[in-house]
Amino acid sequence: MKHLKPINEKARQLDRAADAGTLDEVRPMQTVAGCATTFDPGWETDPFGGVANLCQPMEADLYGCSDPCWWPAQVPDTINTYPDWNAGAPSAGRDWRKLQTVFPKK
Amino acid sequence: MTVPYAMRPKAGDWFMRRMAFRAITVLAVAFLVGAQPVAAKEYILTSVKPNTLVLADLAARKVARTYKIAGPGPVLGIAPSPDGKVAYVVTNHWGSLVGIDLDSGKEVFHTDFSEGDLRVRNIFGLEVSPDGKEIFVLQAPVRIGRSEYHVEDTRIAVYHRDGGLTAKPVRFLPVPRRTTYLLFSADGSKLYAVNWDVTALDPQDGHVLGVQKLQHWERPNYAEPDVFGVWSQFEQSGVFVSPYFVTRTDLDPKDPAAAKTGLVTLDLKSGELKTADFENTSVVIFSSVVNPVRRNEVFSVYSTLTKTDLATNALVKRVNLPHTYYTINVSGDGKEVYTAGTQNDIGIYSTDTLEKLGEIKIPGGADQSITWVRVVKR
Repeated sequence: MKHLKPINEKARQLDRAADAGTLDEVRPMQTVAGCATTFDPGWETDPFGGVANLCQPMEADLYGCSDPCWWPAQVPDTINTYPDWNAGAPSAGRDWRKLQTVFPKK
Repeated sequence: MTVPYAMRPKAGDWFMRRMAFRAITVLAVAFLVGAQPVAAKEYILTSVKPNTLVLADLAARKVARTYKIAGPGPVLGIAPSPDGKVAYVVTNHWGSLVGIDLDSGKEVFHTDFSEGDLRVRNIFGLEVSPDGKEIFVLQAPVRIGRSEYHVEDTRIAVYHRDGGLTAKPVRFLPVPRRTTYLLFSADGSKLYAVNWDVTALDPQDGHVLGVQKLQHWERPNYAEPDVFGVWSQFEQSGVFVSPYFVTRTDLDPKDPAAAKTGLVTLDLKSGELKTADFENTSVVIFSSVVNPVRRNEVFSVYSTLTKTDLATNALVKRVNLPHTYYTINVSGDGKEVYTAGTQNDIGIYSTDTLEKLGEIKIPGGADQSITWVRVVKR
């Protein structure tokens, strides 16, 4: 963990648990199911540092990434938290104007 | 013994009987010919939003039928029964498995994975046993507490095909974390779980029959490979194939040869696992398929369609696609490959030349997203 600096409470808890040898209690999910377990850069850049190998067009990838909760920072988690986010917009390329920003439920 | 005169055949009777025999013979032959199964046609089985299964006639180049699945979507995994009559489909935000009868269109199987405070999601792995009697579903359960989530062990839930509309698992099998693909060996004796390595499980009790190293390979001057496993699409060749990406540790990272793309194959008949690089990484590839006829040919897809020769581990040809596709499948005669996933069309390409032969537009214009694409014979 020496190369990673925690920037939120969950990460700090993980750091403390690693030091205390109790990592299992805060173990993150190890498949992509859990949201925020992938470190892909998103739609900003491809593995080569350019954009040519991003999905073409970006709309082709929008639901492929939100349905499996691949990039929950960029698109809502439709598996658990915002299941109806794109319910009225079955074509990302055609219906993207209907997609709305989401906010945490109080 | 003498035959009464009235029963003795007359010359005319003989002719009539002979004609009647011929007519019956002709009818019998016609009946038998009619009873023979018509040569099965190949169909693509995929899905679009919202929660709609799609059956596409490949010869006619059009969608033959769609099936609206009850409840919320989207469809993820699709696994046809071996007889091509029922499609088992993961849906309900990856929380349910339903079976759709492809003839009647009715839901004939249904199970919800979550129960009580245990929230359960399927993550990709879905397979039907070769005899069609059982369905194997990879599950990631999380117990929802008052102030915390407790991640439970991943597992395989096994369902009997006769479970009906309130199906319950008949047993659970342990499975390594990070498993994505579930694949049966051709004889049904092993269930392969592709995770960081390839673990062969006994499909009855889940005990480990063997492990073949993949991410933990011991390859001098190579880092651990990344394998991207989402789409199960290996029914035509019986060979699992997936791209992998790896860096060489003995070269300058700026050297183009330091990043390699390769293919991992697992022959589901022999159980043989092979890995081989075929190029310096130059494009992204999401998924691949082996030609069932010329079994050295592999076709891979993303924003390009790539043909690779397994015999020489060489790139044969690459063409640009109209847009990105996630998935690919192949015809039984090995002449056509089908690109699908993401948007609304299925592309049809020649395996010889990679020339585009046609496409199938799915009515309604909705996205396929991350769904699978399977070939069924009906």
